[in-house]
Amino acid sequence: MLDSSVKPLIEATGLVKRFGTTIALDGFDLSVSAGEVVGLVGHNGAGKTTFARAVAGLISLDSGAVLVRGADARRDPRRVRPLLGLAPQELALYPTATARENLLMFAGLYGLRRRDAHQRIGELADALVLGDVLDRRVRTLSGGQQRRLQAATAMIHRPTVLLLDEPTVGADPVTRDALLGVIRAAAEDGAGVVYTTHYLPELDVLNASLAVADHGRIIARGDRATLLAAVAGRAVIEFDRPAADLPIPTAASGAAVRVDGSRVTISTPDPGGTLAPWLATHPDATRHLRSIEVHPPTLDDLYRDLVHS
Amino acid sequence: MTSATAGWRVRVAAEARHQAVLLARDPGPMIGYLVMGLLLMIATRPLYLALAASHIGQTGPGVDQAAAGMAVMFSLFALKIAGAHLLNERTWHTWDRLRATPASFGEILIGKTLPIYAAILAQQLLLFAFAAVIFGLHPRAGWWTLAICIAAWSACILLMGAGAATLARTPAQLSAAGDIFALLTSVLGGAIVPISLLPHAMRSLAPISPGYWGLRAYHAALTATPTSLVHPLIALAGFGVLGAGIATLIGAAQSGRPSNAGLRHQGAASTSDHQ
Repeated sequence: MLDSSVKPLIEATGLVKRFGTTIALDGFDLSVSAGEVVGLVGHNGAGKTTFARAVAGLISLDSGAVLVRGADARRDPRRVRPLLGLAPQELALYPTATARENLLMFAGLYGLRRRDAHQRIGELADALVLGDVLDRRVRTLSGGQQRRLQAATAMIHRPTVLLLDEPTVGADPVTRDALLGVIRAAAEDGAGVVYTTHYLPELDVLNASLAVADHGRIIARGDRATLLAAVAGRAVIEFDRPAADLPIPTAASGAAVRVDGSRVTISTPDPGGTLAPWLATHPDATRHLRSIEVHPPTLDDLYRDLVHS
Repeated sequence: MTSATAGWRVRVAAEARHQAVLLARDPGPMIGYLVMGLLLMIATRPLYLALAASHIGQTGPGVDQAAAGMAVMFSLFALKIAGAHLLNERTWHTWDRLRATPASFGEILIGKTLPIYAAILAQQLLLFAFAAVIFGLHPRAGWWTLAICIAAWSACILLMGAGAATLARTPAQLSAAGDIFALLTSVLGGAIVPISLLPHAMRSLAPISPGYWGLRAYHAALTATPTSLVHPLIALAGFGVLGAGIATLIGAAQSGRPSNAGLRHQGAASTSDHQ
């Protein structure tokens, strides 16, 4: 997914941005390739939104530069902005206009001819389940419909780079599925996507690479499998009697074993793979098994490990 | 992947069409200011007739002062509409979305203000048309001079409204400041009471009011010769440049800081800038 031979669509290097005494970006580096979805995660205040605004050229940086397809986002906005589709975290729609009128305006600002705009609106309405509400005023739409419409305004011109800042926050499952489907399709068509979220399982659906931001800089970057390989998952075994009475070892290869009454917890990056041979070598103990739970490491575990460390 | 960069005309047209839709969805304030202007013109005409008959304050058929005064005063109130539509872009969080598009600040401003300009023009035209049809108003310097005055005055207050919108942080601020500005400017300009009847101190302050120059322009068109239009039109151009300058400078300065910084100053919830 991360092919270093291809020139990235977005190259952000050494971004620094201060708001008064608050340092929002503190040496933020990130690159995004064509066809790649980058899941940008981090706690509130980590710099995710500020980064998206810097790429969109909406803020001036104290130092560093963002290049989008080689053009400086701040100095050369005329080249950069036609490439970008931005869906900010807050809803940014015209409540007294209809959904179609909102989309037509953004289509016009990106230079789509009227006929092409109507065709594109039809495509997006189908993909985002908005067909029935296109001619309703935005203020009468549900929160989920407004979220989908906001994403549609960002994608109306088939952007080369999509900047989506928590697009599914507060969204229902239907909205989430529709949005993730459209975003995945955009990446498959070659768009580079920066996807900011707190819902880490969404990144699995998007097959996204991961960038973890903390205190205004990226502290981990790579594909999910590589990063997850360093994180421990858990296997929890419940016996029908205290585990101390059973002939079980308190160590396993490459894993930590914790005994707590009748429960044994094995922590390892590959809990399933570790558990099977462990059980096979302790047949006396398996007779007393009550339950087994296997929890592979998740992005949430990775995020917690990174931030806490 | 993206379509070719559109020409500025396409972007301005898209923004202007959209702004026209937004105006049409909320016509109440503009209709209100038009109807109030018509009613007050009817109500104040006898007063101005009486003043003219007594050779107090002014000369003319009365409707000149009534029509011009109401056109100035209620277009100043309509200025709040221009400001409110620009301020909405911030309260709806759409300003940053617009700035992230290929449209420049100037293109956005032109696109947004064109329909508002048309609405203010229409308000003025209807007021004078009403005065002409019902009360026989006839500009002595020619209808074309009146048309120039309407266009110049409408442009002046539109640009001042754009400036006011960049200074105001909330709709309430804009509404209060707009009311005060409209009334002060109308009074100082002589839109309600003829200038010659104002207290001396107010008379000496009158030229700092754009309403004064607007009314002088209208009076020149209605009662004098085209050459007497020149000074008022130059003054209106000056006020327009001032408003445009404020809008551009403040707008450009705001481009470099978080979009909801203004809201944060009000203590409103801020969510995203530092995330």
